[in-house]
Amino acid sequence: MFKQGVGSFPYYVGIASLEQVATRQDRVCVLNILGTESRGVSPVSHAYSGGNIVFGTSPGRRGQMLKTGLGDIPVYDNVLQGLSDGHEFNVGIVYLPPAGVRDGVAELVRVNPLLNKVIILTEKVSIHDAREIRALAQANGVDVFGANCLGVADAWNHVRIGGALGGDNPEESLIKGSVALYSNSGNFTTTIANYLATAGWGTTTLISSGKDVYIHFALAEFAYALSNDRRSKAAVLYVEPGGYYERDVTFTKPVVACVVGRWKAKLTRAVGHAGAMAGSGDDAESKERWFMDRFGVDSLYSPDNRACTAKGAVVTNIAHIPQALTDVMALRRLEPDFAPTGSLDLKPWLTAHHGVKLPPELTLEPAPPPEPYARQLAAWARQVGFVAPRQNMKDTSGATRMDPTTQVTSVHGYSVLDLALEPLEANFALPLVHEIASDNDRALLDVAVAAESNLVGDPLLIAADAAREAGNAPNAVMAAAAAIVGPKRVERALKATERLIDLFAHSGLEDARDESFDLGRIDIDDDTRALFLAGEDDESVRPEAMLKALRARGGRSVFLKLLESLDGRVHRDGILAAIATTIAWGPLMRKRISRLTATKLPWYLRLYGVMIGATIPGHHHKTGSLWDIPREERFESWTMADLAFLAMTGRKPTPEQAKPLQILIGLLISNGPGAISAQGAKGAVSADGPQSPERVQINKAMVGFLTHTGYTHGGNGFEGMAFLLDQFADSGLADPTDPNHGLDLREMAMTFAKQYKRDKALAKDLGNEVQTVPGIHHPVFRDKPVNYDPRERFIAEFMERRGDHNIFHAYYREVVQALFDVGASPYVFCVNVDAVIAALLLGLLWEDYRSGKLRSKDLETAAFTVFLYGRMIGAAAEIDDHVNRGRNMDTRTPAARCRFVS
Amino acid sequence: MQLSGLLHGAQLLDIVEFPHAEVLGPDASEDDIRDFIARHGEVFVKPLFKGGVGKKGKAGLIGRASDLEAALAEKERLYFVEHLHGNHRAKSQGVTFEGAVPAEHEVYFAITDATEFRAPTMTLTHRGGVDIEELPKHEVVRVPFESLTGLKAFVVANALAATGAPREIVSPLVQHLPKLWELYHHYGMTTLELNPIRLRPGAQGRLIPVACDFKCGFDRDDPRWRRLGIPESVFAVDYSNFEQEINQLRTYQGQSDVYVINANGTILAPTFGGGANSLVTEVLGDDAIISSDFGGNPPYEKMRDVARICFKHWLAQSNVLFVIGGKANNTDIYTTFRGIADALREYFSEHGPTPLYVVVGRGGPNLVRGLGYFADTLDALGLPYHMFGFDSAISEVVNFTQAVDRWMKRGGRDEVARSLGIKDPQAA
Repeated sequence: MFKQGVGSFPYYVGIASLEQVATRQDRVCVLNILGTESRGVSPVSHAYSGGNIVFGTSPGRRGQMLKTGLGDIPVYDNVLQGLSDGHEFNVGIVYLPPAGVRDGVAELVRVNPLLNKVIILTEKVSIHDAREIRALAQANGVDVFGANCLGVADAWNHVRIGGALGGDNPEESLIKGSVALYSNSGNFTTTIANYLATAGWGTTTLISSGKDVYIHFALAEFAYALSNDRRSKAAVLYVEPGGYYERDVTFTKPVVACVVGRWKAKLTRAVGHAGAMAGSGDDAESKERWFMDRFGVDSLYSPDNRACTAKGAVVTNIAHIPQALTDVMALRRLEPDFAPTGSLDLKPWLTAHHGVKLPPELTLEPAPPPEPYARQLAAWARQVGFVAPRQNMKDTSGATRMDPTTQVTSVHGYSVLDLALEPLEANFALPLVHEIASDNDRALLDVAVAAESNLVGDPLLIAADAAREAGNAPNAVMAAAAAIVGPKRVERALKATERLIDLFAHSGLEDARDESFDLGRIDIDDDTRALFLAGEDDESVRPEAMLKALRARGGRSVFLKLLESLDGRVHRDGILAAIATTIAWGPLMRKRISRLTATKLPWYLRLYGVMIGATIPGHHHKTGSLWDIPREERFESWTMADLAFLAMTGRKPTPEQAKPLQILIGLLISNGPGAISAQGAKGAVSADGPQSPERVQINKAMVGFLTHTGYTHGGNGFEGMAFLLDQFADSGLADPTDPNHGLDLREMAMTFAKQYKRDKALAKDLGNEVQTVPGIHHPVFRDKPVNYDPRERFIAEFMERRGDHNIFHAYYREVVQALFDVGASPYVFCVNVDAVIAALLLGLLWEDYRSGKLRSKDLETAAFTVFLYGRMIGAAAEIDDHVNRGRNMDTRTPAARCRFVS
Repeated sequence: MQLSGLLHGAQLLDIVEFPHAEVLGPDASEDDIRDFIARHGEVFVKPLFKGGVGKKGKAGLIGRASDLEAALAEKERLYFVEHLHGNHRAKSQGVTFEGAVPAEHEVYFAITDATEFRAPTMTLTHRGGVDIEELPKHEVVRVPFESLTGLKAFVVANALAATGAPREIVSPLVQHLPKLWELYHHYGMTTLELNPIRLRPGAQGRLIPVACDFKCGFDRDDPRWRRLGIPESVFAVDYSNFEQEINQLRTYQGQSDVYVINANGTILAPTFGGGANSLVTEVLGDDAIISSDFGGNPPYEKMRDVARICFKHWLAQSNVLFVIGGKANNTDIYTTFRGIADALREYFSEHGPTPLYVVVGRGGPNLVRGLGYFADTLDALGLPYHMFGFDSAISEVVNFTQAVDRWMKRGGRDEVARSLGIKDPQAA
């Protein structure tokens, strides 16, 4: 059952000429106009076609509008509403999901007697629905294009309907000419149009037919309409295997047919185009033969074998189409439509070798692309640093990730276990440079942080002391100080960093340590000079001390060299900027980090110094010394580990003491974005609005991290120490690192285990909660006969290799075995990473505790402080990541997912 | 997604009450088989292949037995038998026993959607039981019919008349064959073939059509087949682990079609667009690991997941990552390249660097942003690359990629490995 249309087809065809495929008179209704695909494509089509979309539908969105360059397109719940509002259309475009396509077409047919064309963009429409759509359209006199097509376009009429032919800039590909284009591939419709233009051929009508099993507007219909189109002098076809649509078609105009897909004969199912599966007799070779017979050629056309007649040519490579068409048309004495616009030769736009030596055949150097791409590429090339796309970063991080299987967190790809073995300077730099800093950069960082940690004379020290005296935990003390390091306190340093990046970004400088770099290439104006140099009333001696220390450590920096060449006293913010820029330069130029990160780096360095400094009571901050350590000594030789140890104990550690502290801090850096501390930092950034990154207060974000730590998240490190103190209180232990300690750990563990078992039984009888032993067992590492926390094993093995001993750690291992031996545990529990932290820390502080210099309360503070030092690094990573990637207020939870309890 | 044989076919035929030969599955006991033979006199022993595997009879893979001893011997012969059909080798996983149906007439019947007619089409001949390609054309009739009304009795009657079918088989076939349209149309089939249908005399001598073999194909884009309750594992033979993993991402928003061309290939080519897929895979030949179409404007998350899975399975062996497509119409190049680049970065973070050369050829919306993002990532990872726009012929870019692959094979891989600081290039 079909309505009689044009020609003598045994089925309905309504289009008599290609001119009628996409006309200026067509009026369009788009189903699912606000869908992701349509929302992007429809406004471009509408504007290109002079405003041909009269309305769209999207259930439940009546009253909304789709904005376009030619005014808003109204949206209705359904087609009937639009018609009732007085809109008329003859073309229906279907962007519905596959399951809704058939019903959408049925509705268009049912309610709109004016309908004569339907274009279906949707992919993966079932064959079941396609066969019903065919029957519906045939019975009602409607031409259908698709499904799984990219619509139709007409370069003469300046119209494209139902798809994105020509992409977001249709004029670039839809160039008026004399060639009609019919393609099984939507992408190749545009690509071939571009290829044709290189040889001077423009187009008339372009049809992306789709390549589902059902092709509703097939080649026979195209050939008929081609013959009646006065504008089209020739046609180009792109054809794939599968189906007999091409077998019996005759043409009255010259044709170049491109048949691709011989290899598909090997496949057992379709890839991409559902209908591109050959059965028997409809494979690519058969189709090549059909066309060759039609054109009277006995071989395929290629540049080496230009086999063609005035009727046409058959190619198997789309790159050969332009030349084949030119050759065929030359036999008819027809010239191209316009001068060739280029060539299809290889022209790389971007290349990089990264030091790899390539053979001559691969050393193609970049060629300038056409406009506007050349302009865009030039702008991209001038861009300094990496730019991350913004997205919702709630519970998401581009900086840290915890492996749920091993419970090991990595920061910018480095496992915290590996980081625990790196010097602290490298770890403090990592969140901001995303790489392990070099020795030179570590030395610079030592000086920068040391220069910020003595807070004498600064109001923030008063604030920190006041917070301390009020009985606050160390996080609140740090927060009091950090809160004061606001934007104005870093304004000059950040501006100086910006200026250094501007000055050197396109200077060719690759290595910031390269002091042989010709500074004559850098123009310094008076503003810049003023930015870096101290004023006459600036009497601080710190800048000179910093410069001296930097040179004493052998630190090299082209930026410092520039500052020193300015012939004046350098301001400390200038030095801080030079240090930060040196550290950031390599990763910035390699686009590992963003310009934003590099620019903010001085703020983090200042915060590091202030936050560590604030943990040292105020009376130890004096002019020229910190806790009696002279400025010169700290600046010129102390490491970050030394500084951290000083803050906790008031003395410089031996190398044997510094190592465990470094490991401790490394282990504590991060537990991924789900940790409460990370959430605090991310929430603070989100609330400031990272989409305006210049407004994000990094110090406030640090405060966010600090307020999201506490006695149970950070302070609980003391629980393991308290357990060990109980066990070793009367042991007479002198040196916890001496393997010849003389204690019978097995005996001690068995005594504890037996008592624990009794207590556990009693608690059970009384219905009380059984007290757990801090530092053992883990919800992930369990249920095996003997269990291990891989993090604990990593540290234990490292210590073993070094020949280090820690009696508390050894005791923990005895305890888990003893608990099993006495029947207090069903299997040998693991010693978890918290136990390692407690053991290492107590090992460090045991001497001071035993001598009475530190009290139990001090140990608790120390445990919390170590946690804060480590997590400060992780927080910096999350803050920087969220500033770079996040969206405003993206950490909030939608009201629908919040719960109320009564 | 194809299914052959009566083990599952019988269940499907029961849905529309179409008679079929009795069948026993591979779990049948010796007692079951003995009783079965006693009832039917003779049984056919057929290997059980997953998917659609044809030409078993011609390959001598159908056994006949009229006693238990012979039936068990055939079972032993065919239980794990291998069968080469076309380019594919299939291995049997059991046998079925099908009761013989004595009959004078054998009919071939099939429904499929024929592109010549753009309609569902019945193929019918009363000279069934053989390959229909071997029959004279006038003995086979192909009749398109209206999909909204379905296969009607008069369509069958007219067709049988056209082929000169014996009068006694017309009425039974006209009565029973239209039922098969229900099975075909309502359960997402793309082909349904019964060959042979044997016409067995019934109670009053009236003939009853009995399906003695079954073959059908399902549309993977049509969820109706799930109504049948066939376990997905029946179709699993069609897919490698990699393909199954990718297929889980199969939605209408963006393609995710893949096919493993050569598991030992060295060029990993995520391809965009069905056309580019045809062209690129054709030129790459066996150098390609996969044939794919990831076009259709996939969202970022999907693209990253697709790339992640591709990299997990294939990157370690790849010399070249070749990201290729024509000038996209609606696929956002920035979105898709960001997904690929991020997945590559993640791979390097997780597994460490691998010696790789990257070649890109693409055009479309947000092209420069996409290329720039990809280049930034590759610069950060230290990988060499060439990126082409849409003004270079795709086929030339493919040829260039093959040249890169050849160079990688003759020492370039080691060179790239050294530049990445990989200590043991051979292990990488």
